[in-house]
Amino acid sequence: MWRVFCASATGQRNLEQGAAGQDSSHYVVTADVLVATVCDGAGSVPEGRTGSDFIARALADDLASTVHADPSLCEVQADGCARLEATILSTIDAVRTRLADLAASRELALYDFSCTLVGCVASPRGGCFFQIGDGFAIQQAANGDSALSHPENGEYADETYFVTDENWKDHLRLTPLPAPERGCVIGLMSDGTAPFAVNRARSGFFRPFIDPIAAFLREATAPNGNEALRNLLESRRACEISSDDKTLLLAFVL
Amino acid sequence: MNTVIPDVALIDNSDERAPLVLVLDCSGSMQDENKIQLLNEGLKALAADLKADPIAARCGRVLVISLGGDSNVEIMGDWTDAMDFTPPDLLAGGLTPLGAAMRCALDEVESQKRQMRTAGVSYKRPIIMLLSDGESTDEWRQVAAECKSAESAHKVNIMAIGIGDQANKETLGQFSNKGALSLSGLKFKELFIWLSRSIRAVSRAPAGGTVQLNPVDSWAQLST
Repeated sequence: MWRVFCASATGQRNLEQGAAGQDSSHYVVTADVLVATVCDGAGSVPEGRTGSDFIARALADDLASTVHADPSLCEVQADGCARLEATILSTIDAVRTRLADLAASRELALYDFSCTLVGCVASPRGGCFFQIGDGFAIQQAANGDSALSHPENGEYADETYFVTDENWKDHLRLTPLPAPERGCVIGLMSDGTAPFAVNRARSGFFRPFIDPIAAFLREATAPNGNEALRNLLESRRACEISSDDKTLLLAFVL
Repeated sequence: MNTVIPDVALIDNSDERAPLVLVLDCSGSMQDENKIQLLNEGLKALAADLKADPIAARCGRVLVISLGGDSNVEIMGDWTDAMDFTPPDLLAGGLTPLGAAMRCALDEVESQKRQMRTAGVSYKRPIIMLLSDGESTDEWRQVAAECKSAESAHKVNIMAIGIGDQANKETLGQFSNKGALSLSGLKFKELFIWLSRSIRAVSRAPAGGTVQLNPVDSWAQLST
């Protein structure tokens, strides 16, 4: 049902400072359900990367097993997907508590692990985007129609919200998704990738960017596709556009 | 196996801006020691250095406000993207209405923000740099207090810089919570190169990060 490619490139800014990339991503496909996450650790805290790794992995794994145990959770009804939304909320809450325990065991604050979150649960019955802070999520149907989850920033472009914030529930945004059909592509990305992957109107993918990639990846093996995607994110041109870490996860419906 | 995806268009579709307002004292005393000429050369260095950096050239957005001359406070042209910024040729003469000039700068910042919000353009916190070599000739206290509270409310970053011994650093320091700095000698060029590098850093700042500006020792007189 799903073919998934994912790549990350450490931004110039972190490379120059000898710092590791702060982006993390993870995905799980069980039966016909895809659960995927992309997190971007805050550069201003000591354990941003640890936070983004932990949240991306634990959240995708836990959500995948819950949804696998009860596939009907994904069904989008006329009134949305309230059961799935409740599941996402409680799973984030639980994972966040485990991260707080990890922080406490290292005598650090949860804040020290600050990261953003953008993710999806997608299945032939429907699904949901979930997001806290910046980054972007797009589900583009074969006819080009797109469902989106937009970044949320503070007044300034360099301020955002984190899973680790006290009031994270106020900034959790959930977007019900229609059942994806053949030819559909789902993209999750960190804020370093969005300037060139999203169109100027911020209404979907930038087609001159995504169409050649989709054509290439549909024919590619997983290792080859992932490497090609990473080469693109690490290219000089991409680095000129954004010096931030860049992650792009693309899932195609077979 | 081919690991280069052909024909991918990589274009920056984001419109993130880093606004900068320069409030420049062009009063009569700026004729002394060739200061106005050095200021003009500094502005040219700023323009060139911003343009030399692709990200700063695209993100930087500049407005120049001069004080002095016949009209006291003058907005020198419109807001321009750094890549299109041509510095005005400033002439010295007239008074030093610091209050009116900074009022104008605050108003311009807020109106520029409104315009950017309406256009769906995201932006970094604007910087106002005030450069003066003299004593204010108008009522400045109320505006200075507003500048400080605008700074406290994260509306703007203000840098107040005194030029030479005649600059009233105490007055200038009232316009920013950080106080005022003094230009060492007449190192206008070093100051503006530093400013350009700061705009470069601001343009690149990732979400959630704090911008670490370069040390100011290339141009600031640190001992008072």
